[in-house]
Parts: sequence; structure tokens; C-alpha cells
Amino acid sequence: MTTMPSLKVSFCGVDFPNPFCLSSSPVGNTYDMCARAFDIGWGGVVYKTIGLDYEVKITHPSPRLNPLNRGKEKVVGLQNVEQISDRPTKDNFADLARLKKNYPDRALVSSIMGLTHANDWAELAKMSEDAGADMIECNFSCPQMTVEGTGHKAGQDTAVVQRLTEITKEACSIPVMAKMTPNVADMIPLAMAAQLGGADAVSAINTVKATSGVDIDLAIPLPNVGGKSSSSGYSGTAVKPIGLRFIADMARDKDLNLPISGMGGIYTWIDCVEYLLLGATTLQVTTAILQHGYLIVEDMIEGMQDYMLDHGYTSVHDFIGKAVENVVEPSELSHATQAISVVDFDKCVGCGQCYLTCRDGAAEAISMNADRRPVVDEELCFGCLMCKHICPVDGAITYKTVPHHLAG
Amino acid sequence: MSASQETQTGGGHVALSLQRAVDEAQRCLLCHDAPCSQGCPGGTDPAKFIRQIRFYNFKGAARTVLGNNPLGGACAYVCPTDETCVRACVRSGIDRPIDIDGLQAFAVEYGREHGVKAMEAGARRPHKVAVVGAGPAGLTAAARLAMYGYPVTVFEARKELGGMLRYGVPESSLDSAKLDADLAEIKALGVEFKTEHLIESEDGAAKLLADGFKAIFVAPGLWKPATLKLDGIELDGVGDALSFLEECRTDTAKARALVKDKNVAVIGGGSVAMDVARCARELGAGRIYAIALESMTELPAQADELGDALKDGVVIKPQCQVTRIIGEGGKVAFLEGHETEWIEPGKLVPQNARPIEGTHFKLKVGAVIQAIGQRPTDAVGKVLTSAKKQGALVEANAETQATSVAGVFAGGDLVRGAGTVVAAVGDGKRAADAIHRHLAGGKEVAS
Repeated sequence: MTTMPSLKVSFCGVDFPNPFCLSSSPVGNTYDMCARAFDIGWGGVVYKTIGLDYEVKITHPSPRLNPLNRGKEKVVGLQNVEQISDRPTKDNFADLARLKKNYPDRALVSSIMGLTHANDWAELAKMSEDAGADMIECNFSCPQMTVEGTGHKAGQDTAVVQRLTEITKEACSIPVMAKMTPNVADMIPLAMAAQLGGADAVSAINTVKATSGVDIDLAIPLPNVGGKSSSSGYSGTAVKPIGLRFIADMARDKDLNLPISGMGGIYTWIDCVEYLLLGATTLQVTTAILQHGYLIVEDMIEGMQDYMLDHGYTSVHDFIGKAVENVVEPSELSHATQAISVVDFDKCVGCGQCYLTCRDGAAEAISMNADRRPVVDEELCFGCLMCKHICPVDGAITYKTVPHHLAG
Repeated sequence: MSASQETQTGGGHVALSLQRAVDEAQRCLLCHDAPCSQGCPGGTDPAKFIRQIRFYNFKGAARTVLGNNPLGGACAYVCPTDETCVRACVRSGIDRPIDIDGLQAFAVEYGREHGVKAMEAGARRPHKVAVVGAGPAGLTAAARLAMYGYPVTVFEARKELGGMLRYGVPESSLDSAKLDADLAEIKALGVEFKTEHLIESEDGAAKLLADGFKAIFVAPGLWKPATLKLDGIELDGVGDALSFLEECRTDTAKARALVKDKNVAVIGGGSVAMDVARCARELGAGRIYAIALESMTELPAQADELGDALKDGVVIKPQCQVTRIIGEGGKVAFLEGHETEWIEPGKLVPQNARPIEGTHFKLKVGAVIQAIGQRPTDAVGKVLTSAKKQGALVEANAETQATSVAGVFAGGDLVRGAGTVVAAVGDGKRAADAIHRHLAGGKEVAS
């Protein structure tokens, strides 16, 4: 049997047996849940965000979730109005301590959020360190906190991010990671603020503020909480491209030198590899677990190990950030060549979807022959490849690269 | 002996739930110039109603189905889709075809639950039209003519409407409530039905014209069973498929008495023979044989019907011929026959079959049911005394259904021989359109 490569990563000096972590959310809400996740193979846990319960009593709006489905595909995206932990602060820290005691080889990250005073962050940081957490994640990014001025309202202000990071850092000796909101045009100034405040890492993305749907009979957006709704945190497959973009932005920035914990729509080992190639070192998952349970990590582990064998990597660090140099601005893209669609008539089943998309949305370059097979006019094809993207038969439409039609 | 084309198909079509319908519609490739929509004898456009379901336009899907075919509900259950739209499905090239009949049944049921009116009576026109026969062809023509605005009177010999759908298809294939739902919408168009009203006078169609009807559509079907000329055919316990299937619906005790606890030989290998076998099984028959001249691959029954029969334990005896029925005390006791081969391959007519020596067999049976085709009744012959015929069947123009008698149109099994419901629906549509051109356009429609 093949010896599988180690998936160990080092992140801010903390060893993770693998980069796969629960993100701070309902999937890591209690000792039992996290213990079960560790037993199944998750390398780390970012525990559900803890606040100080003697200052604000947290309760969750209900129902707190609403999915975006597409036909039979359930939960393409997921909106939530979940708050930080509603459990007693001391119970949460007791659970953290027990987790560290029973799973000393796993990475334990304490996610914290001050709700009323700047000093709350210091207090929670100390409690985290005392409980045995390996790291702290500052939650500067929850988009639906019902306590005004917290969550992403704090995380959208560079001065606040820097100040709260400083306070947290000063209160403890373990690494501090700042969790970024994607609900900004540019994440870099906020990540830089965290760096200036002394952060050891950044994590991104928290959920995207969104409205997942509307009850069209009642004229009430969803989720319908007592007849009203709010835009709030949206996650899942639908947000993966947004996550990858922000990770790449931060990884490319010359002045930002913090390691990154990546998340947003991770379901498979392929999603994981994509995040790692664009510069993440650890990975966090919630929505996929909400949908399918902890067991999916087995396929992340095995899939990534096989990927590493196939590519000759012996360490995950061999390929972290490998794709970053291939990200450029749109203005820097080459116009020297273009694609031309190529149809394999033997694989084609003759549905004609390629014809329709080309006719109604592209170059009007495809005609159907008498055998219901698409014929591409190479003079007209401008290589958008929408035909290839919608073709129901894998490999029936490929493309070749030729000098650009309009290139001098 | 010939297992001719059969009238009805059975078996296993199920309406999908909304969620499953959306799922199934999502599998559809939404083909350009979709092949599924090109071959329906009834002119159904599955590509359109599947797309409508895919985009949550469920009421639109119901309008597409029922607006084209007033028996769209029944057809969803009885159509031989494996031979038409489903066979043409491009998705088969990837994995398996779309469940078109399931989607059609869903669309119809959704429409009914949500009050969709797919058909509306047209502005009243003066020309009265008569329809003879309330089977699939007659009902379709009547509905369509009413939509054009003609006052339509349908003459039906039997007590209930539906023809073969009512009396020939087993309840397990099409429950009466589904048919009644289709009929209710046709009745709502203002069509007048005269049931138990047999047109049997000499040249009855001409008399209807004389009575003030401006056009007649004759579609009474084929209700006289073909029978074999065999020793013992007169014995107690020998029956025919049409009577047996009708009794299954109207006089179950009688049907049960014929087959219960007896070995039953069904002669024929088409869809009707399989329906008879299924009903006999449901009524408690012992061993059931289906004896046909065709080979297993030539049997006219559809693959799914054949599969169901095999699952039911029906013993298919392909390429066999019955030679004699032996009685005891006036009742069927045994059946004798032998295996056959075709003299000329591919020519599937009884005259072309010859016995194979040394293959004689004898079966102990208590009932023999012949499912070998049907002909027009004597009354039907009279309706169109003067119309041009081809054998027992009436000749009609393939595009207009016009007969050789001006103003008289014909369709359904009486013209095409025993065929499918959806083919009869197509006849009814064509006839109604041609009658409309004939009456509103003021032009004679060439026969």
C-alpha cells in the first residue's frame, strides 16, 4: 500500500496535523461536537465565537437559516442570522480546556468577540489562553450581530480593527488571527490594520451580507423572522469565488505579510487545494458540515493526499501559494491568442444546447448539421467557450488555442 | 392467428410529485429542435412542457398538455411513450431518458389542483356538428370543435364515455377518476353527449346530415372481436379479450368466474394480451399462458408490458400456434398446439407460419381468451354504408380525415385499425381542424 504524505502544516508556529478546521459556527459549539470532529479527523477547531455573557445575553432569531436551492441541488448557498455563542462563557471555556486536554495534538483556536467594551477583548483573550487555546481568532466580521457596533461594523473600520487587535495581542502570549469581512470593496486596508495592530494571521472570508430570497406570497424576505427579515451572512458554494478572490488579493499584496486561514464554500479536497494554491495555509469549513456532517473530512484528507502524490509534493507547504504569481490585473491579460471550440462528434449526443447559447448569447458561430451535430465556424468563434461550459457530455467540446483573430 | 396491433397500452406510469418533477425536468437537456416533440401522433410538445416545469411555470405546463390534447391526463398513463417521445429522448445518449409521461401526469394534476383552464369554448358558431363515438378520437374532435365554437353532439352507444379508455384499459393502468377528470373539462366546454344512443340505421351518417348537422365525425372504434376458427372454439370457457376486459370493469364477478383458480391461455402477444394476462392474475387465475406466433423479439407488446407480464409469472409461448381446444362436459379442459417458424422471415402473418414437426404440446387449461384483434361491429358498418372502404375499415384522407362522403369525416380505429389512444387523438384533432376549414372556410375539403 502506498504511504500517504503528511498533511501537517505549521501556522503561526502552531502545528496542525492537517489544514482542515471547523470554522467558528454552530458546527463547533460544544465539547462533544468538537470531540467528534477530532475523532473523525479534523486537524483543528475554531470554536464558536465566545462573548462575555454577564454583559449581553445572546439569543438567536428564529428561524435562523434560509437556503438557496437550484432545482434538485439543495443549499447552493445558505443565509443565516446566527449570533455568537449563546452558551454561558464559563461553560465554553471549560469545554475548550477539556478539548485541549483530551486532544493535545489538534489545533484549538478560540474565537472571541467583545460586545460592549474594548477591554472585553483583553479579558476574553486571557480566558482563552488560560483555557489552553493555541490561538485566538478575533471575530471582526459577523454581518448580523444584533448588538449594534459589533461584528462587521467593527471590522469595516481600520482604526477599530487595529485598536482591538492591539488590545487582544497585549493581553495574551498566543498568536492572534483577525477574521476579515468580505463586505468591503477592498480587504487590504483592513488586513493591513490588523497587521499594524500586531496580528499574527488573518482569516477570511466571513459570510457575505446577502438576501437569499423572498416569500412571494407574503412579500416577506427570507428567513421570515416574525414577519420581518434582514440581509445577513451568506455562505456555501455560492460564495467560494468571493472567498478565493479575497484570499488571492491578500496573498498578492506586497506589504501584507500575514499567513492566511482560508474559508468560504469549501466542500471538497479540490476546493481546499484551490484555497491553498491561492495562498491559504489552513482551511475552515462550516456550511458543508451543516449539510453533510463531519465525515466529509475523510475525503478531504484522502483526496489531498492523492493530489500530493500525483504532483510529487511531500508537504502541503510545497504548494501553498503556488498559483498566486499567476494572478494578474485584467489589464495585464494577454490578447495574443484565443480559443476556438472543437466538437467531438463521437461524444456529442446532439442536444443542441451549444447551438442555442452561441446563437442567443455569443458569436452565432455554431450551426446544426443534418445529424444534429454542431458545426463551429472558426472565423466567427471568439472562444468564449460557453458551449463547452454548458455541454452535458464531459469532453464532447474542447478547444484549441490559435492566434487571436484581431491580433495584429 | 394474428396478434395485430393493439389498442391500448398499460402499466406502471406514475405521476411525479412537484419536487421530483422539478428534479426530473432538471435532467432534461432542453434540446434545440427537440426530437421528443417531433414524433407524437397527438402533436404533444414535451420539450415545451418540460421546459415550463424546469422554470417553475407549472400552470403553463398544464396548459401546454391539455390545450393540445383534451385527453392529456389519460394519455400520460396509457401512452406507449417508450415507442414515441421517450424513445427519441437525447438524454438516452448520456444515461437514461427523461420520464416524460411522469412529467405529463404531474403537469395535468398540478393544473387540475390549481384550477387551470386549458380549454375554452369558442364564440358560438351556427353549424351543428355530430360526432359518432365517445372514444379518444371522438372526444378529442368534440372538444376541439367546441373550442372553435361549434355546437357539438356526441352519440355514444354505451352508457359511459371514454370508449377503449373506459372499457378496454384495465383499471390498474388508468383509474377511472383520471379519465373522469379529462371528461369533466370536455363537458365544461358545452359538448352535448347522448349516451346509449346507437346510430344503427342504414347510412346513419347521411341521416345525421339530413337532420341538420353540417358535418359528421365518425369514430366508433372496433368492438367486434376477431375469433379463431378452431375445434372447440364454441366451448364454455372460451372468451375474447374485449369482453373480458370490459367485464373486468363492469361485471367483475363474471370476469372472475371465467378465470379464477383456472389455468388460462391467452392467445395473442400484443398489449391487449398482456392486459388480459394482468387482469387474469389480479382475478386469481392459476397458470397463465400467452401464446403468440411471433418470436420473443417480434412480440407486439411493449417491452415494459412484457416485463410486467413475466414478473407476474405469465408463461410466454412465442412462435406457437393453437390447433384445437378440447372440452370435457362442454367446458374447456385442454388446449393443443405446436411450435411454428416463419416460411419467409419477417413476414408476421398467420399464413406465413408453418408448424415444426415434433413440437406438439397439450396444456391443461380452464379458460381460453382470444386477444387477436378486432373489427367494426355490424352497426358501425351501417353508419357509413356508402363511404369507400378498405376491407372492413373506412378510408379517410390522412391529412383531413375526410371520407368519400362530403361532410363526413372518420378517424380512430375504424380508419387505422386497432391503434394507440394518442393516434386516435391525432385523428380527432385533424378532423376537427378540417371540419372547421370545411365549415368556416366555406371550402369543401378534398377526400
